[in-house]
Amino acid sequence: MADITPFQINVPDSQIEDLKTRLSLAKFPDELDQAGWDMGAPLGDVKRLVAYWKDKYDWRKAEAEMNKFPQYTTTIQAEGFEPLNVHFVWRKSSVENAIPLLLVHGWPGGCWEFAKMFDKLVDGDGTNDPAFDVVLISLPNYGFSQGTKKRGFAIEQYAETCNKLMLKLGYGEYVTQGGDWGFYITRAMSLMYPQHVKATHLNFDFGSAPTWSQHPLLSLQHAVTPYSTREKKGLARAQWFQEEGSGYRTEQGTKPQTLGYGLTDSPVALLAWIYEKLHDWTDDYPFTDDEVCTWISLYWFSKAGPAANVRIYYEAIHSWNKPSEGKITRERVAEYIPHVKIGYSHQPAELRPVPKTWVKKLGNIVFDRDSEKGGHFFAYEMPDQLVKDLRDMFRKGGGAYGVVRGKKGYKEVAKL
Amino acid sequence: MAEIEAFTVLFPEQRISQLKQRLQQALFPDELPDSGWDMGTPLSDIERIAKHWASKFDFQQAAAQLNELPQFKTKIDCEGFDPLSIHFVHLRSDNPNAIPLFFSHGWPGSFFEVYKIARQLTRSDNGGPCFHVVAPSLPNFGFSDGVKKRGFAIEQYATVCNQLMLKLGYERYVTQGGDWGEPPASLKSTQPGSRFPLPDGATPRELQGAQRTAWFLDEGYGYNLLQSTKPQTLAYALADSPLALLAWISEKLHDWTDNYPWTDDEICLWVSIYYFSTAGPAAATRIYYEMAHDRNGKYVPKDSMGKGFEGGVPGTQKITGAYLKKDHGTGVKIGMSHFPMDIQVLPSLYTNTLGNVVYEKEHERGGHFAAHECPDELASDLREMFGALDLRSA
Repeated sequence: MADITPFQINVPDSQIEDLKTRLSLAKFPDELDQAGWDMGAPLGDVKRLVAYWKDKYDWRKAEAEMNKFPQYTTTIQAEGFEPLNVHFVWRKSSVENAIPLLLVHGWPGGCWEFAKMFDKLVDGDGTNDPAFDVVLISLPNYGFSQGTKKRGFAIEQYAETCNKLMLKLGYGEYVTQGGDWGFYITRAMSLMYPQHVKATHLNFDFGSAPTWSQHPLLSLQHAVTPYSTREKKGLARAQWFQEEGSGYRTEQGTKPQTLGYGLTDSPVALLAWIYEKLHDWTDDYPFTDDEVCTWISLYWFSKAGPAANVRIYYEAIHSWNKPSEGKITRERVAEYIPHVKIGYSHQPAELRPVPKTWVKKLGNIVFDRDSEKGGHFFAYEMPDQLVKDLRDMFRKGGGAYGVVRGKKGYKEVAKL
Repeated sequence: MAEIEAFTVLFPEQRISQLKQRLQQALFPDELPDSGWDMGTPLSDIERIAKHWASKFDFQQAAAQLNELPQFKTKIDCEGFDPLSIHFVHLRSDNPNAIPLFFSHGWPGSFFEVYKIARQLTRSDNGGPCFHVVAPSLPNFGFSDGVKKRGFAIEQYATVCNQLMLKLGYERYVTQGGDWGEPPASLKSTQPGSRFPLPDGATPRELQGAQRTAWFLDEGYGYNLLQSTKPQTLAYALADSPLALLAWISEKLHDWTDNYPWTDDEICLWVSIYYFSTAGPAAATRIYYEMAHDRNGKYVPKDSMGKGFEGGVPGTQKITGAYLKKDHGTGVKIGMSHFPMDIQVLPSLYTNTLGNVVYEKEHERGGHFAAHECPDELASDLREMFGALDLRSA
């Protein structure tokens, strides 16, 4: 394990000063009367956040908090690509047979979305609750991981990078948690590495109605069961996302470079671009200005630069659209994947909440829980709930108990 | 008419030096090698043009170029909104019987698109009809006022444009603008590579056009969906970073034209009209949002017919894009000029459903900004079309 190097975040003073200078020179657009949130991030909010970011926000304080977590970097190389320096947070539980757990973020997230869960998961007492060895990866192109300089780094490559990291840390078998791109990546890992990935927990609803030809029983169930109130609301939310909330995805999926100029040259542009999602994609989460500024700063100060993170959309979507054998497609991850046990947590403010029968298509669902609250950034909005869900999924009697050989998450009871 | 004032384009010195300073402090992203134009405007182009804009582009000379055509401003009322000061080019022919022609730009174009055809259209020595040319900056664009309230949609744009022509004394006039169409319901089958059914016996133009349209919808539609849903989020980038504005617009200048040899000066001029616009660079994108939403802010699907315009007070009904694509029996004569590298290139069978299509011309070259790319062809089409019509009849 020679090249697993401890890491501390240390953004140079010059970068912090440069940010403040840019914020002080910011030029703002106008706004139409009564635009509210309909047309995008409101002017009043953005101006307030920019002023706070410039004058009151203390990056060094946030940095120090993050540096309390044990961070490392190591080199991982996906086949056909250059070696990349990958950043991650990692702690082994004091419970010897803790379950190795990799949590994978998406966009516009980061490994720090899981920070509030980290210690609780690792410090499960191994008697009443299972314990985990927890790895929070910063995906290539995100956070303090390096970005790739080659075209074609798509879902398979992210999956390969994640798997190689876990193997490098000594985990031949492990489990995963993910939403957003973390959903696609961990599903791809389930397909590519069934010998390594034993269970996946997902917090991202995805899928389509079961068809008669492929899922006759589910299709029948879907046909005869009326949608619950929750499911109807979920479909309305999904419609909103499709109609009103998909511009970012289409642009990032086709012209990320054009978008990248604004995200790189203007911290205000970056702030608005991401802040709109922090509002629209959460369940009225009461972000403080500090929280928002830390979130955006992680993108502004990212190692690969603010333009790199959106490329995943372009690469994934173009890879999916190229019909060729063996490629992980969007359709494939929405269909049944065998061998891997699946746990699901559903939030009412997720982007495309889907009816229950649709979810069952995805595989062997051993844990399924509806949350009364929460949105897309579940781990950040409701960390205690997600900790509970993971513990319940993997505890004794839980659907995924004992999936990893020899690592059930509990203290060994001395046999007399 | 005391209230029609002469207008001269002037780029203010202070704002020019602010722009230059801002460009010199710009931060550039990296770029993936071999991405060409696939992923957006290439880094080398942006670096070069930004440098040109900051150090070589001659704003005085550009203003002088814009001032070659006579321009004016006048206030136009629009029910439900504050009166708007509308900027326009007005070039009269020497021939008093010339046909009044209203020329409409789009996004990311401007009144400047008319410059290569305006003078030749006013001349009566071309063996065809001649025109009085009116080319405004649309509200929210160029040197016209911006709108401050929600709901300024197609009816409002049409009202303002019509009022302008009436104010100039043109009760009856003709217009020039872009091309649309809608597949007739009778067509069902779809060829590979086409996003809509192609008619039997589709011409090479129509086959190639289907591919071009598919490209536009698959690879070139992000700006449209974003501007139709979250123009305010985009606005921060366009307002705060001239680099963002440059990239956003120059991508279309490249992608939507037929290898038009843009000079750096031309691009800087086109983008400067947005940067120095009266309403600010972000306002121009709001037309997309207003087209996609009804008066209550509810999303209007692309195929929704809305309520249309049933006469009476403009602004009381909702005209949708789908509504505009249908023939409403108004009898207005339509001429179509087809350019191969436009962004939606449709079979004649479709475009003929727009209404009373009396003229059609296919071109071998040219794209979305036809008046700027192929001025002689477009001017010739206009003379041909209107020369054949007896416009004095109803």
